[in-house]
Amino acid sequence: MTENSTPPTGTITVDRVWKRFRADRNRPVFRDEVGRLADTVRGRGDPKRWRWALQNITLQVDPGEAVGLFGSNGSGKSTLLKILTRVMYPTAGRLRISGRVGALIEIRAGVHPDLTGRENIYLYGSIMGLRRSEIDRRFDEIVDFAELSDALDRQLKYYSSGMAMRLGFAVAAFLQPDVLLVDEVLAVGDASFQQKCLDRMRAVLQEGTTLIFVSHDLASIESIARRGVWLRNGVVATDAPIREALSAYRQHIESAAKLSVLDNGDIGASASATGPGGSVALSGDPLHVNLNITSAKARRAILYVGVSEGSAAPIFSVHQELKLEPGANIRRCTLQSVPLPRGRYFVWLAITDSTGSDLVPWHPACEFDVHGPELEPLLPGVMRLSPVHIAADWASTDAPVSSTRYPANDD
Amino acid sequence: MKNPKVAAVTGHNVGFCLEFPSRTMIVGAGVTTTSPTGQLQEPPAALRFRRQLRFDTAMSELWQARGLVRTLAERDLRVRYKRTFLGVGWAVINPVLFMVVFTFFFQKSAHIVTGGVPYALFAYIALVPWSFFAQATSAGSASLLSNMSLLNKVYCPREVFPITAIITAGFDALVASAVLVMLFIAYGYPPATATVWVPLLVIIEVAFALGLTLFMCSTLIYLRDLRYAVPLIVQLGMFISPVAYSITAIPRGLRPYYDVLNPMGPILDSFRRTVLHNLAPDGTALALAGAASAVWLVGGYSVFKRLETGFADFA
Repeated sequence: MTENSTPPTGTITVDRVWKRFRADRNRPVFRDEVGRLADTVRGRGDPKRWRWALQNITLQVDPGEAVGLFGSNGSGKSTLLKILTRVMYPTAGRLRISGRVGALIEIRAGVHPDLTGRENIYLYGSIMGLRRSEIDRRFDEIVDFAELSDALDRQLKYYSSGMAMRLGFAVAAFLQPDVLLVDEVLAVGDASFQQKCLDRMRAVLQEGTTLIFVSHDLASIESIARRGVWLRNGVVATDAPIREALSAYRQHIESAAKLSVLDNGDIGASASATGPGGSVALSGDPLHVNLNITSAKARRAILYVGVSEGSAAPIFSVHQELKLEPGANIRRCTLQSVPLPRGRYFVWLAITDSTGSDLVPWHPACEFDVHGPELEPLLPGVMRLSPVHIAADWASTDAPVSSTRYPANDD
Repeated sequence: MKNPKVAAVTGHNVGFCLEFPSRTMIVGAGVTTTSPTGQLQEPPAALRFRRQLRFDTAMSELWQARGLVRTLAERDLRVRYKRTFLGVGWAVINPVLFMVVFTFFFQKSAHIVTGGVPYALFAYIALVPWSFFAQATSAGSASLLSNMSLLNKVYCPREVFPITAIITAGFDALVASAVLVMLFIAYGYPPATATVWVPLLVIIEVAFALGLTLFMCSTLIYLRDLRYAVPLIVQLGMFISPVAYSITAIPRGLRPYYDVLNPMGPILDSFRRTVLHNLAPDGTALALAGAASAVWLVGGYSVFKRLETGFADFA
């Protein structure tokens, strides 16, 4: 191990880091200790006292790398980030970060509602480790970026949560750290500001800052990170290029999204999906969704069918009003030219009555594979809403098209 | 830290390096438990994280964070002025009201030896340092808890919070001193030349207040009862300290113990002796108080640093 050599600025080395918490965090520490002492005296066994939040985490992040950190709730993402920011100490292991660390974590913590926007910029800035003169120098830029010039002398308690978030992000954006840690903060901003933040993060990355980005929003992670780390129950489950890591994570969510045939005796539905003639589905080809709906009585109902990557949010969805007979009703829905790239997908469905109340709730009914081209890569810093594949023809024409063409990237 | 860049970077979020002591690693040494899948269930003992604490780095980090202390103190003061109608007036009202009450009840009825000094002045000269001490310790003890949301999210030297509380209290004491000046003028009783001793007294008092605060605020995270105990202790403290009465009320034989256990006794007495009576402080008593304060400061800081690693875990 090269203990004393100096890694280049912006390097993060996490070497076999472990972190544990008390199993019962609600009990006052002191009473807990006293109780345990009493238990020991009485000769009772030691109950499970600790819960490991992180186990044997090893990560090496090079300067300028953009790492997306994701995983379900309680998987240890925030704990790892807190250890990286030095807010928490690991139980075991070794940790090294070279350069200035900036963390953008929950704005509300660092600002005070009774102070004005101006005062809060100074407060948040010094909390982030900026000196007064540094804030002075960047003040106008910060205000500009946050788009808060007319709210500057208003107390923060009269700000909307989006405005407060903009203020915090703007301060952090001009921090110029060597390592920037961002924890799930963009969620409250509106779409245009989110895009602005992503652009800013990309600019920061191009300046050579190392970025660790934690979010539940896989689309925004995908747009900014090159490398993905999936934490699962405190263990690094996957550490790979972002698409690979995300698809591993999605597969996991998929397998957790239990396929089910719902039938409550009154009404039930099952489905299967195939390509034309029962073959495998291909990108751009029709997709047949075969439905079997059993109903106890004749009724009118509305059927919703959607295709998703695993989550409840479908890539697209269709609906149809049905007249159901008592007993089994076989229906086939043919989706024309499905624009899905290669991968595994799920059919979700739901049935409601004509007033819109649920007869069968929205649930995954079956899965199917699509063969065809891979999903096209995306310009970094741009969020993709739906992973669809559209075939494109490229041709050079003699006709002048300069008016519609973008100028070369001058970054 | 060998990274030259690190030394150059200012602000407190500088590069850092947390290492366990570089002992020889005994690979596969007996105690590690393994799950059936072969995965480690616990970290090997040699990997246990031990913080290497160095006094000089801690101090330089704290020095780097002086801007933050200033901003936080400013925040606390500004917020108070924005929220309250009387604002800065509250710094004065507290000691003045005590002075009025003391004067009303004690001046005539109880036989308090003031040595020829008007009682109001006699009481007020002790009330200013006492109010400082009371406010510093009660606000300081709660400082970590009340800044928990910050403490939990952003790194900065944790001492920043109790220190900020003490500075805020110091600001209030300065404001309260304005009334002292008015009393000197009103009674035609100017401060004596021995007032030059005051800076030393202030240093001892701040050391005591800081030591006590560091101890209290860090233990309070683990033992929340202290949150309710501290105001009570401070309240009682005023009665066992020579604020309303002279230190001569303490029996002579008990004085050495008293001076060590309650450094505020000799400190307050010294304020009176020097400013009002133009005497040097009582050397033995002040030395005992100074030594006790130093012990509190060193001990409080050690406890604080020891407990610091767990603050975020138990928040």
